[in-house]
Amino acid sequence: MEERVGQLWDRFITRMAHQGHPQAAVKLDQVSGPLGVFYRALGGNSALRISATTATLHQARRSWLHRVAGTGRKAELAWQDESCLYLPACLDLFAEPQLNRDLYFWLAALAGTPIAAETLPDTSWIVESQQRTCQALQRYQGLRQRYQRLVKAYIALRPAPASLKYDAAAQERAIQQALKVPGSVTELPDGKYAPAPVALWLHPDAPRCGGQAADGEISDRQASQGETRQAEQRRRQAERVDKPDEQGATLGVRHEADLFSFAEFIKMDRSTDEEDNPDQAESIANDIDKMSVTQDNSTVASRIKFDLDLPSAQEDDIPLSEGILYPEWDYKKSRLLSDYCRIIPMRSRHAVDAELPQHLQKPARRLRRQFESLSLSPQWIRGQYEGDKLNLDAYLDYRGSVANNPSGYTGDPRLYCQKRPLVRDIASLLLADLSLSTDAWVNNEQQVIDVIRDSVHLFAESLHASGDQFAIHGFSSRRRQHVRFNCIKDFNETYDAGIRGRIADMSPGFYTRMGAAIRHATELLSHQSAEKKLLLLLTDGKPNDLDRYEGRHGVEDTRKAIQQARSQGLIPFCITIDADASQYLPYLFGVQGYTVIRQAEQLPKRLPQLYMTLTGKLYAG
Amino acid sequence: MSTVSQLNTAETLPFYEPQGHEIELFMHAYEHRLPVLIKGPTGCGKTRFISYMAERLGLPLYTVACHDDLSASDLVGRHLIGDGETVWSDGPLTRAVRTGGICYLDEVVEARKDTTVVIHPLTDDRRILPIDRTGETLQAPDNFMLVVSYNPGYQNLLKGMKPSTRQRFVSMSFDYLPAAAEVEVLLNETAVDKAIAEQLVILANGLRQLKDQDLEEGASTRLLVYTATLISTGFDPVKACRAGMIEPLSDDQDTIAGLMELVQAAFGRTD
Repeated sequence: MEERVGQLWDRFITRMAHQGHPQAAVKLDQVSGPLGVFYRALGGNSALRISATTATLHQARRSWLHRVAGTGRKAELAWQDESCLYLPACLDLFAEPQLNRDLYFWLAALAGTPIAAETLPDTSWIVESQQRTCQALQRYQGLRQRYQRLVKAYIALRPAPASLKYDAAAQERAIQQALKVPGSVTELPDGKYAPAPVALWLHPDAPRCGGQAADGEISDRQASQGETRQAEQRRRQAERVDKPDEQGATLGVRHEADLFSFAEFIKMDRSTDEEDNPDQAESIANDIDKMSVTQDNSTVASRIKFDLDLPSAQEDDIPLSEGILYPEWDYKKSRLLSDYCRIIPMRSRHAVDAELPQHLQKPARRLRRQFESLSLSPQWIRGQYEGDKLNLDAYLDYRGSVANNPSGYTGDPRLYCQKRPLVRDIASLLLADLSLSTDAWVNNEQQVIDVIRDSVHLFAESLHASGDQFAIHGFSSRRRQHVRFNCIKDFNETYDAGIRGRIADMSPGFYTRMGAAIRHATELLSHQSAEKKLLLLLTDGKPNDLDRYEGRHGVEDTRKAIQQARSQGLIPFCITIDADASQYLPYLFGVQGYTVIRQAEQLPKRLPQLYMTLTGKLYAG
Repeated sequence: MSTVSQLNTAETLPFYEPQGHEIELFMHAYEHRLPVLIKGPTGCGKTRFISYMAERLGLPLYTVACHDDLSASDLVGRHLIGDGETVWSDGPLTRAVRTGGICYLDEVVEARKDTTVVIHPLTDDRRILPIDRTGETLQAPDNFMLVVSYNPGYQNLLKGMKPSTRQRFVSMSFDYLPAAAEVEVLLNETAVDKAIAEQLVILANGLRQLKDQDLEEGASTRLLVYTATLISTGFDPVKACRAGMIEPLSDDQDTIAGLMELVQAAFGRTD
């Protein structure tokens, strides 16, 4: 009974203390598409993704109700760093949904507005916020009306200065003044507590990954499987700290442990923790203010996950050369780091001749028929001595030349048009992502790699039937010195049982250093003499690798590699099964340069279709 | 030969807002009988520039808007059926070569491949146009000038120009006008007031930042002029922007929604 009453009370008081309007809530997911476009159009960095932020602690004095309910210590505020624009996952501040929606767009406008150069880095939060506000309002005058409505509604929600103590009242007055007349307040008066967080401005002290950031080559870390889930997850504050000196300092010996809040930092060696309860971890992570992690050179991952170490030379694929060096783009320095990555072309050691897998026989037959007819799609050839129809132009020319030559010269009577098969001159290179993330399961029966393998099989069957030149390669990487480029079919090899065997032997491993692989593929394609060259990338996620290739660096390098391919006259096109691809692929491939396959199982069927549409478009357009 | 001294006076010329030294460069190219290639995004003023230059140099202008089906005989000419006999009819290129003037091949990469072969002998120092069908070889007069344009930004890279063709031209790149100059264009071309023109230009520059990521092409000055025209005749600015700038640029609902937010940020909400 007591427990029941306690629960009821807790629910009641929490609801009382919560000032939001759940019925008017607008979720970030609902607006993130238009919001991204809006943010970029205002001048926001187009490499940034939009992500949900976590609540961060603020030092403001809480209301009586908040203190009773034990809530209100944290606030969700917007901020941006070099890879994301973080916005609250849900806004229910105002009673009108439209105002909540407007607030999202207002925050994106603030973040996207380029701030004047004279703004010094040590400008105070209140001044910078006002400057951003003024700048945004000045550039886009229609925002004023929206801003005024937001301010009016928002000030009503803030504490009245009259109800506050002296210093807090002065602070609150300054903030309200700054909101009402942006640009009019030059400093925030000192106070015992920080002022209540301002939902209309960006975060006063944007959380950053502090401490010793691991730079350069880090030791083994588990492959980021299912990495794409990150976008749905909230951003959590993290810091890196030193590894505890002593092993085994656990909570077990400290009985006062449950008096600590989650935020308190206890150096714990979790590297051998056996419990694995992701659900619980998720909820703890949501409650925790700051997660502290440390780099340990001997993590469980490196001890147990042997598959990330390179196989022994006897077991590994056969390297075809010592390796070829390629540059990598460093976006921070805005230059290419020459000879930075080593591409190692490899050929499978264990592949044996194979037939097309049974389950692909039927679709392959159908596709072969389609592609054969594609290659034969006829075209009218003019200037023939005989043919299916008369070319009126040629006939008139002929008549003209006869009329102009009374001597009886009859000219060359090639007056007919004839239907002939179209000769296509295309070279295509299919580059398949073989990183470890493809080891993930798509459904109960299939892994991503199975889908990729099937697609490559069908693609090869189809292209073989069409007569187009094609090559198939796979890639994976383990840091910059070891970018594996698996040769499955060269341009000059004939498609046969041996190639089928190599496709069947494709297996996942390592990471995704996409830029170097694209550069090598570009190089291979550029030696082809075909008129049109297509570079198809088949992947399940973003570029990543063990070192700093994770995140923005990898994306920028891949983008650069694609631009270089394009400048050489290649047509890069990406086929992905990553549902979050629209967050970063337009930045890499352009709005028309990619397609997302929602269900990976469709890929084998869709890939040849796509190829047909793509090449068909190239010829028609 | 026509020289700069024969130029039309400024008063009679159509409005043109220069971007840089393109007028001077064009003059020099004309004087030295060099063909000119103009690159630039759609609707940034390439065609307007050529009309202006033709007017300024006092030359007839033969504009050919190139398309997929445009063949060499469309440019050079063909036999037509006349009164019981066939008659040769000059195409625009042949006419320009015979009489002098500027032949402007707009979006030349859109045309069929055989057209490139026809223009090659006109672009080198021979300046000749061989017409196989009549057996003629025309020598271009001094006041003939070949100008081609194309938009290198199109995603359809297959239609890029061959390097061997590109290298036959003096080339200049056009881009969208700087904001202040574009406002001038709007004020000159339409009856829109200055504040609206300024917001439209800010808006267009926002849209141009989305090129290659959210949009295939940025908003052209031409679309801006259309929109400004709609607004100046009393149409609601937000609706005018939707019809004149946003809908022509994208079909994607999310993109349109985001862009409409931008329009509302520029002109306020009307609902």
